[in-house]
Amino acid sequence: MGIDKHDSVKSLFTAQSAKVNTNRGDAYYEKLYAQCRARLDELKALAPLNNRMDFKESIEEEGLDRRDFMKWASATTAMLMLPASFTPLVAEAAVLMNRVPVIWIELQDCAGNTEALIRSDGPKIDEIILDIISLEFNETLMAAAGHQAEKQLEDAVEHFKGKYLLFVEGSVPMGMDGYYGTIGANGETFIDHLTRLAKDAAAVVAVGSCATFGGIPAAAPNPTDAKGVMDVVKGKPIINIPACPANPSNMVGVILHYVLTGGIPELDSLLRPKFAFGYRIHDNCERRAHFDAGEFVEEWGDEGAKNNFCLYKVGCKGPMTFNNCSIVRYNEGVNWPVGVGRGCIGCSEPDFWDKYAYERPMANANIKAPTGGVEKSVDEFGLGLLTAAGVGIAIHAAASAVAGKKSEEN
Amino acid sequence: MKKEGYKSVKRMTPAMRTIHWVNFFSMIVAIATGLYIGHPYYQSFIADPAVDKYVMAWNRWGHFMVAIIFDVTSIIVAYLYFFSRFEQPWRKVIPTKQNIKEFFEVLLNLLTLNRRKNFDSSHADSFNTVYFTIFHILLAWMLLTGLQLYVHGLASGESSIGAWWPWMLHVATDWTIPVTGGTLMDVRISHHYTMWFIIVWVIFHIYYQVWRTIYWREGDIAIAFGGEKFVKEQKEA
Ligand code: SF4
Ligand code: SF4
Repeated sequence: MGIDKHDSVKSLFTAQSAKVNTNRGDAYYEKLYAQCRARLDELKALAPLNNRMDFKESIEEEGLDRRDFMKWASATTAMLMLPASFTPLVAEAAVLMNRVPVIWIELQDCAGNTEALIRSDGPKIDEIILDIISLEFNETLMAAAGHQAEKQLEDAVEHFKGKYLLFVEGSVPMGMDGYYGTIGANGETFIDHLTRLAKDAAAVVAVGSCATFGGIPAAAPNPTDAKGVMDVVKGKPIINIPACPANPSNMVGVILHYVLTGGIPELDSLLRPKFAFGYRIHDNCERRAHFDAGEFVEEWGDEGAKNNFCLYKVGCKGPMTFNNCSIVRYNEGVNWPVGVGRGCIGCSEPDFWDKYAYERPMANANIKAPTGGVEKSVDEFGLGLLTAAGVGIAIHAAASAVAGKKSEEN
Repeated sequence: MKKEGYKSVKRMTPAMRTIHWVNFFSMIVAIATGLYIGHPYYQSFIADPAVDKYVMAWNRWGHFMVAIIFDVTSIIVAYLYFFSRFEQPWRKVIPTKQNIKEFFEVLLNLLTLNRRKNFDSSHADSFNTVYFTIFHILLAWMLLTGLQLYVHGLASGESSIGAWWPWMLHVATDWTIPVTGGTLMDVRISHHYTMWFIIVWVIFHIYYQVWRTIYWREGDIAIAFGGEKFVKEQKEA
């Protein structure tokens, strides 16, 4: 592939701004269009990689017609914040996804992200696409095992040196020299495994909260000293797609963006693509009107719950969580957590298990008080502080009344 | 109604008193609305249609309004702190030998229940000035963490007054995230804790002013209202 990906990847990677810019002007999009066109023509000239399926056939097998596909393409174009004129390019890129090799490894995890992308009621286009991407290696999905699997991995790395996207699922246990997690007959630690495979990757994509920020393995007391990929891999473009599990739409979005432009999407300060993590759950939530009205579910199953009131008082953390669940939802837009009546637990934010995932508002959360150690709610601590001050004042006042000396009058 | 042998000293200018009471009312509103935002403690009636209520939205509106008022008075106070023509508090906070001595003398006065009073109580003393400085640091922290929480709602990078505003808020307050612990939730927790520290500060502040008024017998409580207190004429004066 002739385009110097490393440079375009680097320049995109260093783009810094908190702003989500959805309109960059015609000149920008014309240039980008030409760039994408050239890139797709180049990819088209390449033979598909040794992959299992042909895209058009898969779609027909699932009983979807071209109209469904084009609907998906325009929705995905919008999700990637590109103008509608890019829709045919996105459709083309989807068909060409089997030209980009993907290696998917699992570290300290539950395979929930793999599950998310392969299991859904009726496989729809996102899932089909994830079936046809050239997944060169995925422990959970492939037939090979043991030495055979290792051999396959070595072959893939050798063959696609510098070209493959490395998808990582799961955190990296750093404690005990990394021996909390080893893989293969040689007992290679997860740290070594990851660094070795990252070295030859075009970019590393951390999928799910464990791979991005350590997730649940890193929750207190974090016995294995679990860390996210970005704390271990240095000198490579890293894209974080957090959430528990990461939304398959966002994985497809990142791969598509790479197929389309040869680069990685614009990222926020936590290395999350802005097209997915640029907006707050709370600002696109269908229950927001009830929040503003002060109508809350007070307890599970009450009258408010039946009326779809806001879930803030049963602990929804949508106001502090950046993700696009409330826009794209899960399982091809069927539903999402707040839609089914339970609050957001902030799964796409760092430290979510310790700091977000409780079914109470923050003021009542049992977290470590500044006095250290003791689990207390913020308000309990505050009231304790107030009581202590009150007692101190009362003692001083009583002592003053009994033994205080009023300054002399003239 | 000055007593024989006492003279009055001016302690607070009208501007300072105005700020004092603006802060007083702002704080009451900020705490009442802030507690509601943190954990909605009263319920709106389910029978009312949502459009008529807007309870959380009004609470947030009130909270942001007093926050902006607070921000403005804080800027004025910060200015007066260094450039006031009346009294520049920073001079009482720098740890010179004299200031340190005065600080402990006033503290001892409080602890010995006014049995020892070896300092000039006619002026703002070091102890009180340090105490007020702590208050303004707490307020500045509320301002920074609060604006950080506020800018989360401006994710598009736009606002009704232009893109410069969220941009400026990010530049000015993003550092509070790593400082409080690395997540947006930590900023919230810190904002909430700081409220409790401010409440405790206020309780002691009121107690202390009343206590001084009773035991020093110099009418200290009047400072915040009339701007003056009374001190005994020095014998040699
Ligand atoms: S349910 Fe959660 S995200 Fe939705 S409005 Fe309420 S607090 Fe916000
Ligand atoms: S709604 Fe919140 S907790 Fe649920 S998946 Fe989205 S970010 Fe995660």
